[in-house]
Amino acid sequence: MNLLEVEGLRKIYPAFTLQDVSFVVPEGAIVGFIGRNGAGKSTTLKSILGLVHPDGGTVRWRGEDVKDCEKSFKENIGVVLGGIDFYPKKKLNTIASVTKMFYPNWDDAKYQHYCKVFALDGEKRVDQLSSGMKVKALIALALSHNASLLILDEPTSGLDPVSRDELTELFRAIVADGTRSILFSTHITSDLEKCASHITFIKDGAVIHSGTLDSFRSAFADRGSTLEDIIVSVERRELDESAII
Amino acid sequence: MKALLSKQLRLTCHPMTLVFLLAGVFLLIPSYPYTVAFFYVTLGIFFMFMNGREQRDADFSAVLPVRKCDTVKAACLFSTLVELCALAIAVPFAFLGARINPNGTNAAGLDANVALFAVGFLVFAAFNIVFLPSFYRTGYKVGVSFLKASLCVALVVVLDIALPHVPGLPWLDGTDTASCLRQLPLLGVCAAVYVIFTLLACRIAVRRYEKVDL
Repeated sequence: MNLLEVEGLRKIYPAFTLQDVSFVVPEGAIVGFIGRNGAGKSTTLKSILGLVHPDGGTVRWRGEDVKDCEKSFKENIGVVLGGIDFYPKKKLNTIASVTKMFYPNWDDAKYQHYCKVFALDGEKRVDQLSSGMKVKALIALALSHNASLLILDEPTSGLDPVSRDELTELFRAIVADGTRSILFSTHITSDLEKCASHITFIKDGAVIHSGTLDSFRSAFADRGSTLEDIIVSVERRELDESAII
Repeated sequence: MKALLSKQLRLTCHPMTLVFLLAGVFLLIPSYPYTVAFFYVTLGIFFMFMNGREQRDADFSAVLPVRKCDTVKAACLFSTLVELCALAIAVPFAFLGARINPNGTNAAGLDANVALFAVGFLVFAAFNIVFLPSFYRTGYKVGVSFLKASLCVALVVVLDIALPHVPGLPWLDGTDTASCLRQLPLLGVCAAVYVIFTLLACRIAVRRYEKVDL
């Protein structure tokens, strides 16, 4: 079963257009949403979340249009927007105690459990946490309200290799029971080699491939053996003689 | 709405927003344009919105299971509660001020009386109708919105300073029981203006913010 289905998503900006983006997030999958900077990854995720208004297309949550089930959709997802520090001067426990008021499924025992597992000190302020710990804190909040889909926008950007490795291991553990899924946008493809089961590749606002990791490798076998090789090969633009003046 | 108001208080509200609730203490100052006290309350509300912007409150709220319009309504309602609390807290200071600075001794504007609170409602009405729709046009231009709103508030402050000097209106400046009773209908009218302007401001703010791409 697909948790999330995105079909024909369109968003037109003066200098950029998201063109009929379609892909699915099956239950138990880690979907890597890849593309270079400015390809449209964040715009797609923001359109899914309703942060921007798409000019067309539909987003379905468990088969139902999210416009008709916005509350239940948002109650069942956890969102990590990479590089954004919410309430940097507030303690984690304060943010958690406010956040839990919005979620009927909030489980305090789970929150305490994940704080312990991720070595998070709830009495610390957000700006006292490292970048990796901030991502873990947001994941702890998401898991504490039993989110079945985590939408992560560039969560590993700016993290050191060890923290990134820890997070990819964590992602595998989250989906291990097959009931939760992760939609994970990144341009650090080596992270996806370790954990993704599906890949959606977006270039210049259009999806050029969406499917399992194996199907992605097969489709671009002539472009390289690793995700990074494939993306560099597909995306690279040669500088012509007039580029440098 | 309760959860959103709690979020507003515990995560978004700036400490100075709460400190300026006590601006009513200004009513003890001899010869002072007392409506400036209410301006400080609007300054506290400005700090709250600025604090929210800097702490990425809009992004955090956007992924919570609430409607976008409810986040705007909660912020408007919280601002309204701040304004009404500030007025209520100012009441005992007005009684005290009227004793310290007897009838008609405030040369810089209205005395601490019922008419002052009527003008206080006008200060907040002017602030709300300009600030809230202006801010929610973009969701981030808080400084420009406050500047525009402050110019309107300044006009009301000028009204406060001018009123006692208008021929035929000395009863507006009185703190005695008879004058205060005579000022009561004005308080009712200004409170009604406040309610209408605030509801309108909230409605426009909701409509504008729905169109904003975060």
